[in-house]
Amino acid sequence: MIEVKVNKDHKVSNKKIKGIVDYLIIGNSASGLAAAESIRETDKKGRLVVITEEEYTNYSKPLITYYLAGKVDLDNIYFKPESFYKDNNIELLTSTNIKSIDPEKQEIVTGSRDKINYKKLLIASGGRPIVPGIKISGRSVKAALPFDSIDGSNYSDVGGIFTLTTLEDSIRIKNYIEKNEIKSITILGGGLIGLKSAEAFLEIGLKINIVELADRILAATFDSQASGIIENAIESTGSRIYKNNTIEEIFVDSGKVYGYRLRDGRENDCDLLILAIGVSPDLGFIKEGMIDTNRGIKVDSRMKTSAENVYAAGDIIEGLDILLEENRNIAIWPLAVRQGRIAGSNMAGNTVDYEGGFFMNSVEILDIPSISMGVTNLSMQDDNGVEIKKIFKPDQNLYRKIVIKDDKIIGVIMIGNIERAGIYSGLIRNRIDLSGVKENIYREDFGIIHLPSEYKKHLVVGEGIEV
Amino acid sequence: MQGSHGNKIMKNIFIQEEYCLGCRLCEIYCQVKHSKSKKIIKAFKKELVDSLPRVLVEEIGYNSFAIQCRHCVDAPCEDACISGAMVKNKKTGVVICNEKKCVGCWSCIMVCPYGVIKRDLSAKKIASKCDLCEDEDIPVCVKNCPNEALKFKEIDQKELVDDRSESK
Repeated sequence: MIEVKVNKDHKVSNKKIKGIVDYLIIGNSASGLAAAESIRETDKKGRLVVITEEEYTNYSKPLITYYLAGKVDLDNIYFKPESFYKDNNIELLTSTNIKSIDPEKQEIVTGSRDKINYKKLLIASGGRPIVPGIKISGRSVKAALPFDSIDGSNYSDVGGIFTLTTLEDSIRIKNYIEKNEIKSITILGGGLIGLKSAEAFLEIGLKINIVELADRILAATFDSQASGIIENAIESTGSRIYKNNTIEEIFVDSGKVYGYRLRDGRENDCDLLILAIGVSPDLGFIKEGMIDTNRGIKVDSRMKTSAENVYAAGDIIEGLDILLEENRNIAIWPLAVRQGRIAGSNMAGNTVDYEGGFFMNSVEILDIPSISMGVTNLSMQDDNGVEIKKIFKPDQNLYRKIVIKDDKIIGVIMIGNIERAGIYSGLIRNRIDLSGVKENIYREDFGIIHLPSEYKKHLVVGEGIEV
Repeated sequence: MQGSHGNKIMKNIFIQEEYCLGCRLCEIYCQVKHSKSKKIIKAFKKELVDSLPRVLVEEIGYNSFAIQCRHCVDAPCEDACISGAMVKNKKTGVVICNEKKCVGCWSCIMVCPYGVIKRDLSAKKIASKCDLCEDEDIPVCVKNCPNEALKFKEIDQKELVDDRSESK
């Protein structure tokens, strides 16, 4: 076990839960705690228990790369204050994983085989990193390690190979960097987690290699011009990006990684390898047939699952994407909070519908801020009714792209200048028809004043207030 | 989601678009108020990069208005905040960014439908927004508006704009 100094108030002693729990929440992050808070707005007294497999009270998952970069310390990595559990009368059970759920008996079984009965259950336990199967080879591999390829269950037995989705991952990486002389870092995956990791290592002055399967980084959220700006900035630090590529074989010596071979045959030194190809809903404890699942848990607009008295929210579910008009997994913080609040309110007896959401992300790399939202990688040829407005000044690391379909914004990329980005997300969320004002909306000085008058009035004076 | 923060009476700034002259005095007083020196000459000559106005005048021709944080009932910036910095005070209704906790991830900028949160890049990168001049009786932008284009008055939170539940 790694020794970490954590604010004493943020560690809780473990205990057994006896009797029936009114509200049982699996997951102690964005969605779970938003639900707890929301339940308490309606029901101040019902017994509320939050269970987490992690050992900390709460911490913000998106801050783990900020912790790695030294920008946030462990005393400031929480997102709810120390008094949160007490103020909201929440019993917290840490270091407790879930073995199974039985919706018939309204019971869960923990890893240590304790049973907890509930009246309402929320599953908000999030995702788990995807670990690709990669062959390992090298001197004394057989002696040091009892396997010849890595997978989700064994990768952490190889020194220098990590995933980065929990605080413990981040602490272990930080300790590894301190104890070992790290010369070359490789991040497998140029998506969101990969780039957030890259941001942290670049911040502490370490060069990196990024290996990405697609033809560019951030392929899921950026178009090629946007990716290009960020790629150039990363490469300007002496870091390298290997695109259309993947790691085929990892070289290990005395139980530690020292290099790898790429699909194109090239070989690189590497003493710290971050596996960041993605995260997927963690459905391991849901037995087949108990709750309807697809890639994630299926929910209705009240965040109810197919099982009676069982709700789900956050990165583990498939919620409504208002742009694609279908349910899918969109694992982002703002939606996790929103869904948690809706779930909690419904669990406490209210009737609230989730209005749906869409993908969005903000990432700043090497002092270049960027925001992307919605569907951004369409071309005008792809689809009738699609219009694209652009400002592209790569020499200034500046890019703005607005994708419009049937007179409504469906996607935005902003790089360099992200001022007032939220006006665009409001336009997307509210499905505002922009016919007549489209010429203004991609301007760098774009503002509320350029919007259709009804929506502008809604924003500026509010409903029901005449001037 | 009504009532998620109680329905207490709070005071908020109202925009009276027709009265705005576009003089930008609100911006100037806001910037001075949030400067280190609190003095107009110093604030503009020496601290220009260190303080930002948290109210913004938008203008096309004779058409103008001043806008700042609406302190939403169901604030999307609070939901989006990854660090716990952005919090709506349940008693006063004021949405405040705790600058010590803010990490400058700009999630709030990404979701604020009014576009009234800015990047403050002076010392530490943090989000900068209207704090309703909590230590003043009347926010300085309202107090110094020569034509009452901004008003500070009590409002039941129920009546406040909730961008996600009653739009269009």
